[in-house]
Amino acid sequence: MSDPALGLLMLALIVVVIMMGFPTAFTLMGLGMFFGFIAFYDPTHLFTDNKVFELMVQRTYGAMTNDVLISIPLFVLMGYVMERGALVDKMFYSIQLAFRKVPASLAVATLIVCTFWGIASGLVGAVVVLMGVIAFNPMLKAGYDVKLASGVITAGGTLGILIPPSVMIIVYAAVAGQSVVKLYAAAMFPGFFLSFLYLVYIIGWAMIDPKIAPPLPEEQQRVPVPEWMRKFSAVYGKNAFVGTLKALVSPSRALAIETGKGRVSYGMLLTNFVALSVPFLLVGGTLWLTWWYVVIHQQVGPEVVVTGVQQLGTPDLVKGPATAAELGPPEGFYLYFGIIAVICALWQLRYYWRVDADRLEVIKLLSTSIMPLGILTVVVLAVILFGITTATESAGVGAAGAFLLAIQARTLDWKRTKEAVFLTAKTTAMVCWLFVGSALFSGVFAILGGQALVEQWVLSLNMSPIQFMILSQAIIFVLGWPLEWTEIIVIFVPIFLPLLKHFNIDPVLWGTLVFVNLQAAFLSPPVAMSAFYLKGVSPKHVTLNQIFAGMMPYMLIVIVCMIIMYFWPGMTLWLPNYLYGV
Amino acid sequence: MNVQSVLHTIDGISTWVGKAAAWLIILLMTVVCVEVFKRYIMNAPTAWIFDADNMMYGSLFMLCGAYTLAQNAHVRGDFLYSSMRPRTQAGLDLVLYIVFFIPGIAALIYAGADYAADSWRIAEHSNVTSDGPPVYHFKTVIPIAGALVMLQGVAEIIRAVVCLKTGEWPSRLHDVAETDVIEEQLAHSEYVDEESRKIAIERAKAIDETARQRGMGGDLNT
Repeated sequence: MSDPALGLLMLALIVVVIMMGFPTAFTLMGLGMFFGFIAFYDPTHLFTDNKVFELMVQRTYGAMTNDVLISIPLFVLMGYVMERGALVDKMFYSIQLAFRKVPASLAVATLIVCTFWGIASGLVGAVVVLMGVIAFNPMLKAGYDVKLASGVITAGGTLGILIPPSVMIIVYAAVAGQSVVKLYAAAMFPGFFLSFLYLVYIIGWAMIDPKIAPPLPEEQQRVPVPEWMRKFSAVYGKNAFVGTLKALVSPSRALAIETGKGRVSYGMLLTNFVALSVPFLLVGGTLWLTWWYVVIHQQVGPEVVVTGVQQLGTPDLVKGPATAAELGPPEGFYLYFGIIAVICALWQLRYYWRVDADRLEVIKLLSTSIMPLGILTVVVLAVILFGITTATESAGVGAAGAFLLAIQARTLDWKRTKEAVFLTAKTTAMVCWLFVGSALFSGVFAILGGQALVEQWVLSLNMSPIQFMILSQAIIFVLGWPLEWTEIIVIFVPIFLPLLKHFNIDPVLWGTLVFVNLQAAFLSPPVAMSAFYLKGVSPKHVTLNQIFAGMMPYMLIVIVCMIIMYFWPGMTLWLPNYLYGV
Repeated sequence: MNVQSVLHTIDGISTWVGKAAAWLIILLMTVVCVEVFKRYIMNAPTAWIFDADNMMYGSLFMLCGAYTLAQNAHVRGDFLYSSMRPRTQAGLDLVLYIVFFIPGIAALIYAGADYAADSWRIAEHSNVTSDGPPVYHFKTVIPIAGALVMLQGVAEIIRAVVCLKTGEWPSRLHDVAETDVIEEQLAHSEYVDEESRKIAIERAKAIDETARQRGMGGDLNT
């Protein structure tokens, strides 16, 4: 048998053996060993001197010193700690109150919680089960359409593997030899865009046909405002912002209010004031950060003048073309920034004009339940994206931050710490052993010439780039039915990667499409796991077919999202190119 | 000594080593944070940190391999597998362990031992920086991890044989699972009613299993 044929046999065998359910890491190792032994067979040497052993141990050591994979355990730890530290039901409750006037408010809240939760954790099963308990039953009780309710939970639950910082992206970066930060930047907009499309779909549907998502009964919409706040607004007027300002200046009337547990203290007034300033600080902070990064940061970068030390090599190192970010503010930046700033200012004015005791209470609830998680995520992502530290360092700091948050929220104890640590160990070992196995496997596959054969075959088809794109994504979509993302990214994606260059496809764009694609694969009946997770916690009358029917539209939305991404690559590639250059 | 206690002893060894190595993640996190502080705030970076980070991460996942196997947590294509009868599963596993697992891991131990021995002989140091830290102990992790995985693999083979005989998988040591978070999140929930909470907590494990079988195992439409 010729070598390339052996390679193909190897590929066929791996599919068969994976289907038989043997741990994939060891399947890859065993197959790689056998076929490598044949490939390297040399009758003049003892069989113990076969070079496959060298290859195996080199590949293992390579995985052990891989400086991309090293951020996996740290991000995984961050996820597990957050998952145990943040209180998801409180989050759901406060978001639902904040959106109580929006059509299909429960579904919207579910989606937003899933997006946030997706940032923290990348587990599909746990999210779907949790949201199934927390949100599904209330939605059904409120008279929501079963399809709407089940669709939003299953679709939202799978968002977690897409939205950065996700482990899937790190693994793809390691496989494709791309930079993790660039991929994070690329997946950023598509991830939120997809979640935005879901949102548009839900609200749009609920507005066209209000029957599917009736508003909640009045008593469930009421915000639990403490009694003293009511008295407070009676004394100081309806507007909570003006009232609090007045009270801070002349507190005597406020301090006379009875709360039931003694009088109102000055500290309580201050707390209210701080809570009231949160929306302003968030909007102002974001605007200021953008301004700082685009305008100020680029100009202060001091020229490093090397004196005293003789530089090695060419003294005038040719600097690569400056990244867009280094060239100063892009054209039209001031105009767009101005427009956005004015809109934000108007919105803030309107908000503070209308703020009352109810809204103040909602802000308080939101800031205690989501803010910690939100701030940590934003800081971790910002630090990575602005290139301030490496991905590994950000992951380390993020994990430490997650610990601090959980300790501050008093949700972390010794037992949970241990659990998070052990789960991290198991997940890391699972991913990295798989990587060891596949490194050996793909090495042997290339030596046997299987890779070359696949390439020749694909090239002989004379496909256009778009045909290749569709074919490769379709294959990955089908593989997504029976397999987990780990297996797809580690075993099958490397086969396509060398071909991308020929078709002039950016591996960053292609990779991001794969991430989105896997969302669709995980939502496709009848194999989508999330449907079965939801079925497990839903009431008896909800059938699996209803859940599948609910998932279908979301699958179509994902495919629409992929088409948009293909025809408008700027959405994916603008941010990485802007931050790190082409 | 019966088979079950042998199995649990081997599981215990793997789990103990794995859990001990798991704490390296906390060490790694601390070292990374201290280094971030030193590099970006004190402007005093440390040269050997890169190697040290790698060593912690590499030892962590290699030494946890056996623990992960003992908990059956290595990813497997369980689409068809989990809907088979235990006897069929065990038969497949037995064959595949002998055909793929034993040669693969044996090669890893053999090659790893050679590799580490060479490294000890020349007292190898890391070449990432000049005057890098020694790496021979780190390379020794490969054969050690291989041996642990092999030991656990033997236990898995015994498991498969027992299952072939009795038609039932022998038990594993109890350990934390990903679905445990459901209980932790719901146990003190203020907004979820008692009944659905209890159902979800009790059934978390079963739900996970059913979902992995994707409906091919039992009657879901009831």
